[in-house]
Amino acid sequence: MSQSLRTSPFEEAVGAEYVAEATAGDAIDGVAPRWVVEPGSVKEVVEVLKVAHQRDLTVIGRGLGRHLTLGNPPRRADVIVSLGRMNRVLAYEPADMTVRVQAGCSLVALGSALHENDQWLPLDPPRAPRTTIGGVLATNLAGPLRASQGTARDLLIGIRTVGPDGTVVSGGGKVVKNVAGYDLPKAHVGALGTLGIIVDATFKVRPRPQHEGALEISCSDGAYAAGLALELRDTCEPFWLQIANDGAPPKPWRVIVGAGGRHEEVVAAVESYRATAEARGALSRTVPNAAEVRRDLADASAQLAHVVLKAATLATRVGAWLDVLETAAVRVGATPRFHADLVCGVIRMSIDSGSAENLGELVAELRPRFEDEGGSLIVERATSTQKEGLSEVGGVWGDPGPGLSLMRGLKEAFDPAGRLAPGRYVGGL
Amino acid sequence: MLPPGFAQRMRGLVGTDGVVDRPESLLVYECDGYTLERAAPEAVVLPRTPAEVAQVIRALWKDGVPFVPRGAGTGLSGGTLPVEAPVMVCTSRLQKIESIDIANRRVVAQAGVVNLWVSRAVKDAGLHFAPDPSSQNACTIGGNVAENSGGPHTLKYGVTTNHVLGLELVLPTGEVVQLGGPVEDRPGYDLTGLVVGSEGTLGLVTRATLRLTRVPESYRTFLAVFDSVADASEAVSGIIASGIIPAALEMMDGLILRAVEDAFHAGLPVDAGAVLLIELDGPEAGLPSQSEEVRELCKAQGAVEVRTARDDAERTLLWKARKRAFGAVGRLAPNYCTQDGVVPRTQVPEILRRISATAEKHSLRIGNVFHAGDGNIHPIILFDERNAGEVERVLAAGTEILEACVALGGSVTGEHGIGVEKIAQMPLLFSPEDLHAMATLRSVFDPQRRANPHKLLPDSKVCVEARAPRRQAAM
Ligand SMILES: Cc1cc2nc3c(=O)[nH]c(=O)nc-3n(C[C@H](O)[C@H](O)[C@H](O)COP(=O)(O)OP(=O)(O)OC[C@H]3O[C@@H](n4cnc5c(N)ncnc54)[C@H](O)[C@@H]3O)c2cc1C
Repeated sequence: MSQSLRTSPFEEAVGAEYVAEATAGDAIDGVAPRWVVEPGSVKEVVEVLKVAHQRDLTVIGRGLGRHLTLGNPPRRADVIVSLGRMNRVLAYEPADMTVRVQAGCSLVALGSALHENDQWLPLDPPRAPRTTIGGVLATNLAGPLRASQGTARDLLIGIRTVGPDGTVVSGGGKVVKNVAGYDLPKAHVGALGTLGIIVDATFKVRPRPQHEGALEISCSDGAYAAGLALELRDTCEPFWLQIANDGAPPKPWRVIVGAGGRHEEVVAAVESYRATAEARGALSRTVPNAAEVRRDLADASAQLAHVVLKAATLATRVGAWLDVLETAAVRVGATPRFHADLVCGVIRMSIDSGSAENLGELVAELRPRFEDEGGSLIVERATSTQKEGLSEVGGVWGDPGPGLSLMRGLKEAFDPAGRLAPGRYVGGL
Repeated sequence: MLPPGFAQRMRGLVGTDGVVDRPESLLVYECDGYTLERAAPEAVVLPRTPAEVAQVIRALWKDGVPFVPRGAGTGLSGGTLPVEAPVMVCTSRLQKIESIDIANRRVVAQAGVVNLWVSRAVKDAGLHFAPDPSSQNACTIGGNVAENSGGPHTLKYGVTTNHVLGLELVLPTGEVVQLGGPVEDRPGYDLTGLVVGSEGTLGLVTRATLRLTRVPESYRTFLAVFDSVADASEAVSGIIASGIIPAALEMMDGLILRAVEDAFHAGLPVDAGAVLLIELDGPEAGLPSQSEEVRELCKAQGAVEVRTARDDAERTLLWKARKRAFGAVGRLAPNYCTQDGVVPRTQVPEILRRISATAEKHSLRIGNVFHAGDGNIHPIILFDERNAGEVERVLAAGTEILEACVALGGSVTGEHGIGVEKIAQMPLLFSPEDLHAMATLRSVFDPQRRANPHKLLPDSKVCVEARAPRRQAAM
């Protein structure tokens, strides 16, 4: 045990074996923290935050560390609070269809507990096996299932957080319907831990569909795919609906539409999708392993490249934007790959790191055009060097819109000294 | 007291017919659907446009006058009761549906638009606004947003917050902010999500961007008849546990059934102990097998009969009977008061037992018509305010029921809000630190507590005292 470790201010809070000096691998966007502490209980999290408060240290929460690339580089990172030891399912009531779980529990571990009762928490961010509950809440990442199941905000019914001075605050509750007081859990969804460290959360869970099916349709280009996808959406509410353009060149465009439910429902839905495709003269094929394909699609953008741009727009604009994005990317010498969720109006464009040298230029050109339409363009993944190149063009987030001064007020109210993940969020928060 | 010339200045902003300040005309505004406490405002201002709302609120800010937002006044927790807020700003003239985007399934509606108008406007396109409070032909979108309202079909489709994508909010200073919008995923804190359910305490909502939902392809609507409330509640648990998510799963007990049948002649079984109104919806292909299962599950829990609505007319009649149940209760007693507790779904049988014990203890009649699938109870306490001591017994019974909900792991309100009614129960659910965090959130939007003061959060003792003389609990 090294000298500095023994004198670590956190030893008393969590015990010497759960404090480590940070290594290079713990750096967040090139910003190196000094310590990594692993509290084992809410009480220990409170102690850690109290120490940080007394010593004016900045704190960043971490689950399994897979999504720390989201956000701007922190201004400072003194201590990482790793929630890996807080990984238990606290209360699961299958008949109530609710589950309370610690923030460090992985989605997969929770998933297997729920699976025993044919239930699930239908959140499918990229890298789900390495994503914790705290991570999926803090980043609000979602995958194909979002089209029918919503995002974390729609499933979260209660939360417990620890504030920058060690105060424990609960919001919501453990029943599926509850309007007592402000909906505080919403404040933490997608907030990257800038308002508090999430220690546990309560969700409503849903029955798992008994069957899944999917149909894949080849398309000539992105605009065609988006047009077809819009028709498929109106044919029969899809379980999920993705546009993908991700193979090896010539990278065929395809639309993949998923159905879920009872066997007969799935069969009927897939048939209706096939009829819609055929009416357009498009070639379709049934996907044999629909659930697996769905999971692969959830992972695809993150697997493909180190740079992922995520654009948000309206369903009817997806086709036009795919075109614009492709042209712009090709112009800077990149080979873009696309995954789009038409129902939610979300487009992910992955480009390989090498050709992303001009990332700043690309963002500068495209972002204002999305924002002018009320949409957004964020850089979901990039290296720290690439992020540096974004500082002139609004960072990874761009303009959060006219709510920014209230957002600033919220941050100042809940973290007056700016010690929780400072700088990672929108507007430098 | 309002500053001198106040009404005149307001008329200058909203037109001569836009200010109500004659005492007899103000009586209408002295309570909402929660009638146990009454207090009339000194003036009601009715702006015609969102821009006028901002002007009015800016003027109130300058004058240092707190205000109460009001929509249709159907709220059930006294959210519109003026407490140290002499002016009511009513959205009932903000009636425009400003834009409809069928392809993207979005609507922008002004706050005073009635919930049902939205669904009507997009009906031909096969879409609707999913939150369907039973008051939907009167309550406003602004009120729905403020209360995060639910309804029978929110079991499957979610409550208001799941269908609101953006808001225009007038802050207590009169500053207008746009939060969210038709496109999802705007980076930044979910301010829209925080304003939904804030009961008018963060400002006044003037416009909302709503998500539209496809009208289901098919329905199956059942009326399952049981001898007892206990059997019916076991059936609820059975259905939920089977993995079927009905679109709606509503219970009416015998007392309510008889009142409803008297009023609507929907052919309800008047000697039943309880009925469940169960609706399945979705693509036709999935419905036959689910229907069979639901029937079997009901039978297994002792249903004496499971009727299926034969056609749309019968379905509509059943829903009308359910949604107007509150109105029908007027036949049973001169006054009633509704509670809105929530329990974990498995505790529905237990809370119903406790409610009937409470009724007995206080010699009150309590009917139950509620969102059983969500565990969201609505015990309706019948009374006659002219009888000495009855109002006190009603209040005591209501409190007991809410405390029982909390003790069973639930909440004191599932959809009607805290308002003034349930402020005293907030500390049962939340620690002083939790409540402090909520007060902190409020201070970000409304540091001077000008928007709907003394609602939702237990603030200072001062307010309780100041309110006491206003309390005219019609005794
Ligand atoms: C017969 C009956 C049945 C009901 N059924 C249901 C049901 O099934 N589900 C359910 O959830 N509720 C139900 N309710 C309760 C009520 O209808 C809802 O809470 C409704 O959303 C209130 O809308 P309103 O326009 O009447 O609001 P109001 O009663 O006028 O106001 C309610 C609250 O919202 C605030 N407010 C109103 N407009 C705005 C605005 N524009 N900006 C900011 N704050 C505002 C007010 O200050 C107040 O605090 C029922 C009520 C009745 C009488």
